[in-house]
Amino acid sequence: MNHEVEKERISAILSTALPLVDIESDFLFSELDSLGVTTILMLLSEEYGITLDAKDATPRNLRNIDAIVKMVEEKVKVKK
Amino acid sequence: MNCTLERSIEHYANQTPHKAAVIFGGEALSYSCLWERIRQRARQLREAGLREGQPYVFTTTQDADFIVTYCAVHLCGAVSVPLESSTTKECQQQILDGLNGQDTLTSFNRNEMVNGQWSMVNGQRSMVNISDVLFTTGTTGNAKGVMISEEAWTANAENLTDRLGFTAELLFIVCGPLNHLGSLSKIYPTLTNGATLYIMSNLKDLGAFFSVFDLPFARFATFLVPSSIRMLLQFARSELSAVARKIDFVETGAAPISQSDMEQLCQTLPYSRLFNTYASTETGIVCSYEFSRYGCVPGLVGPPMKHSTVRIAEDGRVVCSGSTIMSGYVGSPQASAQVLMEGEVYTSDFGIISPDGMLHLQGRGDDIINAGGYKVNPIEVENAASACPLIQDCICVPAPHPVLGTAPKLFYVPRQDQTVKPRLIADFLKGRLESYKIPLFYEATEAIKRTYNGKLDRKAYKD
Repeated sequence: MNHEVEKERISAILSTALPLVDIESDFLFSELDSLGVTTILMLLSEEYGITLDAKDATPRNLRNIDAIVKMVEEKVKVKK
Repeated sequence: MNCTLERSIEHYANQTPHKAAVIFGGEALSYSCLWERIRQRARQLREAGLREGQPYVFTTTQDADFIVTYCAVHLCGAVSVPLESSTTKECQQQILDGLNGQDTLTSFNRNEMVNGQWSMVNGQRSMVNISDVLFTTGTTGNAKGVMISEEAWTANAENLTDRLGFTAELLFIVCGPLNHLGSLSKIYPTLTNGATLYIMSNLKDLGAFFSVFDLPFARFATFLVPSSIRMLLQFARSELSAVARKIDFVETGAAPISQSDMEQLCQTLPYSRLFNTYASTETGIVCSYEFSRYGCVPGLVGPPMKHSTVRIAEDGRVVCSGSTIMSGYVGSPQASAQVLMEGEVYTSDFGIISPDGMLHLQGRGDDIINAGGYKVNPIEVENAASACPLIQDCICVPAPHPVLGTAPKLFYVPRQDQTVKPRLIADFLKGRLESYKIPLFYEATEAIKRTYNGKLDRKAYKD
């Protein structure tokens, strides 16, 4: 997976689904509410065919868009 | 019980002074410490000029300090007016202007409040001891202040204690906004029974939610809106299952819960009592149904609780009465008269009562959008969006949402054929509406459908 390509793809998906959230924020987790966290888990699970659950919804994994991309990349790697 | 929240806290400060009353962010406030802080805050508020019967408007913080301020205001004999943390400054000012008795709220007579009396529109009954004003979605697009008496809070607490079974050994987890009835109402039965309240900001950190169950308490309980239950079932079912034996009961309400989610919750929490409750700011907490025991039926909210009565009006609307109901809308006798008639609250919910006395809800009769338990008036959203220079015309309608059930969607006509990014509209609305009212879906269109007389054609967007 190309990090930058996936970053753009994920950013586009999340920006559309979460119009109130600044996806590029360096403090993304603090901007999210429970709906935002759920939306991220749900959409990325569907988009990449991976399993994301409560253990993945940590402040560390959701601290910014790069961390989210990294989490997805690792999940995809495990899936393969 | 039949005792105010503050007197209960004082009672337990003497009886069980070291027991945790409120836990927030790792800090536990004992009953004696909580009572001392409430008294101290009350002194500060009196010194600041807060008088008996005077409304005290403050922003809701999701922590123990909220409980301290909320109770201190009551201890001063004043009226708590907790506002949404995301309430815009403009809206705050409108509320403050109104509560100061100016212009549209001239009927809000502070002298009457000092005497503990509130003369109703039709003069048929007087209200005593207005304790709180909670702002809720109005049918005209403006927020309405619902006056709640101390008597109503006591009745709500007794309804909940009686039906759900709050006891002293319970740890009750609150994870919704404390200025809304759903969470605020749980403070009362928890603290008047000498139990412990655990306050969470929200449910976004599920790890933090589940770590609460590591605390040394015998019984746990919580209130979760259906969208939170959906979220837990989808993303944390195994974690939920792991704490199943610790959960005494879960109450849901504020929005419809699906049969599938009820059934999955029963399977995941086989040892817990699971309730679906019917309540609103205007009616108080009226009915609750233990679906884990009697069966998962969508819309079934059970028989009325001990202080409540329910009947169905001729037009099919649910009508509630009893000591939990509101005292009226602040400064709006007309709005009060439309809803509160001869001691009964006429809701916008349709329902039937089965021969065994169970209330079955069958949908709403107005345009209010229920976004995961938050009520959103589309007119308020449209009024705010219409002020956006990028938009020529718009309509706000409910749209299916995978988590919330429904969420506000804005159809908009861009001004002068320009392309408008939804993000720009959302940013514009951010400063004008509370966050839960801002549409989650946006769709540009060439024209907004209207009826023959020019009104927005909401029905045309329903499917």
